[in-house]
Formats: sequence, C-alpha cells, structure tokens
Amino acid sequence: MNCELRITDYESRITDPQSPVTNPQSLRYRITFATRRTLAYVSVLELGKVWERSLRRAGMPLKYSQGYNPRPRLHFAAPLPVGCGSDADLLDVWLEASVDPEAMLAALADAVPPDLSVVDARTVPQDEAALSEQLVAAEYRVWLRDVAAADVQSAVTHFLNSDTLALAKRGRKYRGKTYDLRPLVQELHLEDAPAPWTGLWMRVGTRPGATGRPDEVLKALDLNDAPRRCTRTRLVLAS
Amino acid sequence: MTNTRSPIAWEAIEALLHRVQKPGRYVGGEVNAIRKSWETTGAHICLAFPDIYDLGMSNFALAIFYELLNVRPDVLVERTYLPAPDMIAQMRQAAIPLYTLESYRPVSTFDILAISTAYEQLYTNSLELLDLAGIPVRAADRDAKHPLIVGGGHGTFNPEPIADFFDVFVIGEAEEVFPELINMWQAHRHLPREGQLRALLDAPGLYIPRFYQASGESGAVIPIDPAAPARILKRLLPTLPPTPIRQLVPNVEVTHNRAVVEIQRGCTRGCRFCQAGAITRPVRERPAAEIVESVAAILDATGYEEVALLSLSSADHSEIKPLLEALLDRFQGRHLSISLPSLRIESFSVDLADMLSQGRRSGFTFAPEAGSDALRRRINKDIATEDLLAVATEVFARGWRTLKLYFMLGLPGEIDEDIEAIIDLAHRVRRLGLDIGGRKTEIHVSVSTFVPKPHTTFQWAALADRDTVERRQGLLRERLRGRGLRLSWNQYDGTRLEALLARGDRRLNAVVEAAWRNGARFDAWDEWRSLEAWERAFAETGFDVDAALYRPRAADEPLPWDHLHSGVEKRFFLRDYRRSQAGELLDDCRDQCHACGILVNYPGMWTAEWECPEQGVGSRK
Repeated sequence: MNCELRITDYESRITDPQSPVTNPQSLRYRITFATRRTLAYVSVLELGKVWERSLRRAGMPLKYSQGYNPRPRLHFAAPLPVGCGSDADLLDVWLEASVDPEAMLAALADAVPPDLSVVDARTVPQDEAALSEQLVAAEYRVWLRDVAAADVQSAVTHFLNSDTLALAKRGRKYRGKTYDLRPLVQELHLEDAPAPWTGLWMRVGTRPGATGRPDEVLKALDLNDAPRRCTRTRLVLAS
Repeated sequence: MTNTRSPIAWEAIEALLHRVQKPGRYVGGEVNAIRKSWETTGAHICLAFPDIYDLGMSNFALAIFYELLNVRPDVLVERTYLPAPDMIAQMRQAAIPLYTLESYRPVSTFDILAISTAYEQLYTNSLELLDLAGIPVRAADRDAKHPLIVGGGHGTFNPEPIADFFDVFVIGEAEEVFPELINMWQAHRHLPREGQLRALLDAPGLYIPRFYQASGESGAVIPIDPAAPARILKRLLPTLPPTPIRQLVPNVEVTHNRAVVEIQRGCTRGCRFCQAGAITRPVRERPAAEIVESVAAILDATGYEEVALLSLSSADHSEIKPLLEALLDRFQGRHLSISLPSLRIESFSVDLADMLSQGRRSGFTFAPEAGSDALRRRINKDIATEDLLAVATEVFARGWRTLKLYFMLGLPGEIDEDIEAIIDLAHRVRRLGLDIGGRKTEIHVSVSTFVPKPHTTFQWAALADRDTVERRQGLLRERLRGRGLRLSWNQYDGTRLEALLARGDRRLNAVVEAAWRNGARFDAWDEWRSLEAWERAFAETGFDVDAALYRPRAADEPLPWDHLHSGVEKRFFLRDYRRSQAGELLDDCRDQCHACGILVNYPGMWTAEWECPEQGVGSRK
C-alpha cells in the first residue's frame, strides 16, 4: 500500500483541517518514542489511540479540534507498518497549557503501555512544517529467521541490479495497479545480527505519494514468508 | 518446542504473526493487564472467552472477574481468547498450544479454566478452545492434572447440551461463589478429580453435571448422587459489587473499545421473550453518586474517551436524569462521550439522548419487537403504535436522521397481519422522517427470528418453522424497499442452530461434539460457520432436529432445565404464558409485585437497592 495515503487518512481523522495551524492558545510538543514487541503489532490508527489515551492518563491538557467530533491534535511523522517496532519515532502533540517537557516525560513514563517508551519530549515552534513534510527517508533493521544468508545476499544483489521492480499496490481501490519499488530503496545490505537471525538494513525514501515499506521490500526479495523482527531505527528529516 | 509447563517463548509466537490478520490480538501488552509471579501464587486461574479477542475484550463479565479475583494476593488471573481461524491453523502447524496473554503460559498449566458460556453460539468454540489448549474435551477423559473446567454466563441456565465437556457450571452471579470455589478447590487440590468435585457440592449455586443424569424423552435431569441437590438455586448478590475500575485498555481496535459502568442489573419490564430480564432479577441499582465516582476513577486509570452505562433498560434507573446531569457537569470540557444502551420508546428517552449527544446526532435505536398493538400485548411490550409514532416524530424533530427499529419474527401467536403491521409502521415512520428530517432520513429495520429461551414465559413455545419464517421474511423484503429504507434479517439456519442449542437436553452433547469434529466452530459468524458440519453431525448421531424444535411443550411436562432455578417460579411463567395467550399485559413489577418468586426464594436478602417492593405480593414500593 502507498504509505502517504495512509498518513493522509489518519490525519484527516484526528485533526480538523479547518483549525488554524498557528493557534496562539495551543502549544506544540515533539515526543520521540520507541515501540517494541506487542506494540509493534498495532496499526497507525490504533497507535494514535494508544497515544491519546496515554496522554490523557498522564494528565496532559490536550488541545482538541473544533467541530462536531473534536479530536486531539496528534501528528506522526510517518505511520509504522503493522509488525514493525521503532527505536525513535516522532510525534507532535498540541496542548492547551504549557507543560515542562521534563514533567511530561516523567508523567508519560508511568502512563504508557509496557512496550512503549518515551525517549524525549521538547517544545517546537508553532509554525514549523508538519513532520510528514519534513521527512525524507526512513531506516529499517529487519532480522530474518529460517533463511540462508547466502540466499538473502543473492536476492539483495539481484534487487539492487534491477532498474525497476513493479509491485502491486495494496488496497481494493488500487486493484490491478502497480508501482515501482526500486527507486524508493536508497540502500539495502546485509548486516550482523545475533543468532539465529540474518540481518538486513535498508534506507527507503519517503517522498509524498511514494514511501517504501520494509514488508514490500521483503516481498520483492521473495522473503515474504520468513519470520522477521522489524524495527524502524531512524527517521531522516530534511535539515 | 517449548517445555509444556513453561511460558511459550516470544520468538515462537512472533514467528507466526506476519502470516495472520490483525496480529495484535495475540500478544497482550494492554494497559492495566496484571502480571504476577507464578511461583508465589497458590491458585492459577485462566479466564477464557471462546471467541476472538475483539469480542472477548468487550465482554464485561471477564472484566469483573479479572479485577475481582486479581485483588487476592494468593490468586493469579490471566486471560485467553479463541484465535481466529488463520491463527488457529498457524498454531496447530507450529504445535503451539493456546496460551494466556499475560505470561504466554500454556492454558493447560492453569489450575482452573473458566470459560464464558454467555450464549449458545460459543459452544463449539469452547471445544475448539479446549482442544487448542491440548485439554481433552470430555470431562470424563480428564483427571486432576488437567485444569478444572468451569462454565459461567447466561448459557448456564440450560447447560445440558454441553454438560459432558465442563466440570462445573456457576448458576447465576459468580462474584461470591467464584472465590468460594477457588478456596474449596485449594483445600482439596490433592484429591482425584472426582473428590475435588464432590467437595464443591457444598457450595450453593454450583452445578456439577457428573452427579446427575438425564431421564427419558423429556430430558429432565435428576441427581444420581445423594449429596447432589435436586434443584440448584442461582446465586444472587444483595447489592451490586463495586464496578471494575482498572479496566483493560486494548492496543488494537475491538468491538466495544470503551469504559463500562454497570448502572443496574435486572429488569422489571417483564417482556415475555427476554431471558436476560428474567434470569437477572431482581433489579438492583447502583446509586448515582457511586457511578459518578466510578467513572472518574476509570477515566483516570484508562484514559478512555467513552463510557457506556450498562443496563437492560437505562431509562428505568430511578436517578438516570440527575446521573447524566452530574456526569455532564463533572466531565465538562474533557470530551467524554457517554453511551446509553437499551432505551425504552418514550419521549423521556429522547430527552436523555438529547442531553448526551451535544450537537452530534448519530443513529437512534428503538425496539418495538412486534408490529401490531395486539402482538405487543402478547409479548408484554406495552407501547401503542400512535405513541411510537409520536416518539419518532420527536426523534426527527430534534435532529436525528437515522432511526433503527428492531423487530422479532416468529413470535408465539404471530399472524401475517402482524407482518403487515411491521411494514405499515416502517412506512409511516419513514414518511414522518421524510417530512420532518428531509431526504437524508434513513430507517433501518432489523428483524431477527424469535427463539423460545429457557426460563422465560415463552419456554413452552415451539420455534416457528422455516416455511413460515422465510415466507414472512419474503413479505418484508418485497414491501420494505425504496429510498430511505433498509432491511436486515437473520438466516433461518443460524436461528435453528441457536434454538437447538438453547433448548437442547443432554443428548445434544454427542451432536455438539460430532459437529465440532466435523469442523463446526464460530457458529455466530456468517463467514466461518459450517452448516454442513452440523448436518453431517445430525446424520451421524441420528438426532431428530425437528422433534426437538417444533413441538410445543406441555404445561405439566418436565423440562431439561427444571433442575436449575433462576428464582423466578415455573408456575409464574406458566400463568404469564396464559396471560399472553389471552392478550393480557402485566405491569412493570416495580409498581406492583406480581409474585414471580424472587422475594420468597431469597428471604432476608432484600435491600434498598432492590426495585422490588419490600412487602412482596401486591404491594407497592
């Protein structure tokens, strides 16, 4: 599936497009967080709800949108694919009152689910561009089991030597449509991993409308059935 | 493979998750999940809901016992649900047994496995659950090294179709008897299974099927052990127990993803088809002040944005309006949505919904159940068509654009004219909607097929036959068409199965097991149910379905569930059945006691939380 569309779907649900981006009443905070194990298996919509509830349990004064269906304003940099954890993902939240970032960190530490951890919290300028607009690339570590490293290496070599790689778009409305995965994969190579895993490392582009996903890369490598542990290790923002 | 007594390695579970839909169902990790030390707890209890996580996490009974039992430092409580078919296949292929979501321990290593028997379509799933856990499905094939298998929920008011698979059924409310059961089991855990169960005969409200047998054609159940009581009276709490506070918060989407407070248990309305209303008597109300405090504590503990106020008839709570006012006042500005299920058809209900919706107008739901005034009198649903139309007018006038109407088809005494009345009513409501609300107004008519349930006034009635039901459904389909009208109905095959399991006797155990062995499971799911597995089971066991379903029972005939007593007397239901046939109504019993039997069967238990008049028969509160 095309990643960018999923971001749009999510944002249209949790934010009110009419609400001014620079509301002087609200304050913008950026949270860096990590997810693992159980929290790697939630969708982006579900992770949004996990965050809303965590922020409420932590007593954060969430800023809500206007309208019939007010929702807290939360912006992820990029959706995490189902089955993928993260070492350092980014989330912007808007609050109605000022909160000391250190106090926010402490309150959230007790409020988040077991496999979510909060790495950092800081304020950001109201007028800074949306995280999704700043994002240019994402890096993933994928550990695979029940595969031979040599087979993975030859699949990777074949992949990198291809000029184009057509994959079916996911989702009913794209039935029969394909997209080219190859240009989205900027780097792909094997890396060390503890036994019994075989490690893969990749860096994929995240241009609007064209975001690479690690499970799509595995599909292209014909490793779709291999048990895996996937972690997004870094989000790369345009500096 | 892992050692069968230690937790399953995360890596073994993880290896399956990329192959299944919605893997977050199988990993746990919820906020408020409780993990205790296995070694320092004396009793290990697994609570199971035998359908998928999405439904099981929405089941309030599990929430009650998860919190109630976990309070005890000597007791460890964990949860399991039946995985969806794709995950079941993966687990079987990888030889991973069913595990709990807290510690990933195999379910078979727990001391007590409590399985919800909330409704009949869970029965084959219970066998699937036991088998996936590596536990023999028949009680006779198990011994003290297997978990004690306990059933509880509304289905236990006729558990005979699954009596061979469970060791114990809890009849009625389990908040007191479950802890008693744990204590008694702990005191006798060294005994063989037979001895453990014999010790449990001392606890009122437990039904242990192995000490009974079914006799003759009627399926009536009698004790074969002198220590076993001939009749088991349901357990009842004098007042509602504290509502669960630290409620589990799922990380993935589930059916009812919200906080719940039970505001009232039982119902005084006396609808003659309703089993829940009869078996949960008497009505006990939770005081409004306690509800408000509970909601505050739950929101702090969970971060939920929605709370459901649970009851069988919300508007009947005597403090409902001050309660809603207090909640709106207390949580103003916190963006809390409050949902109020089961509203009666009256303008007071529209007032209440109006208070809660704050500008948003989603659907409004009413359940007239029958189309004509005459048939509504027979089922004791006292609402006149003209009043219903007046309430519908108000619903549209206040801005709702979708009205759902629930009906039942195949009710005792129903004639074709009653179906005409449903059609007529739906069209009149639609015209009202178009006139007041405009072209976007939608009327959803949902018609389910009536199943005569045990422990109700209609327990003697036969199930309506297929030809009648399908012909009447055809009438509805033909005439309820057009702009702004939507109709949904149940397939008769599913209804027939539900009726068979609801009304069956002990002979059905062989059928249930054969059906499950043929692949029947998820009987409530259109996409997973296998009617073919059931048909083969009927053929293999020589079971006569028609004889079981289409014969009205005689008044003096023993019924397969007579040994279980809801506190409401059989002779009360019989008098009420005669009233139904005569088209007579019976008033709400909070106004006047009709001697259903609750007050005499629970002497000395009355409290001010009860809606029963204290003085009993004929008196007023």
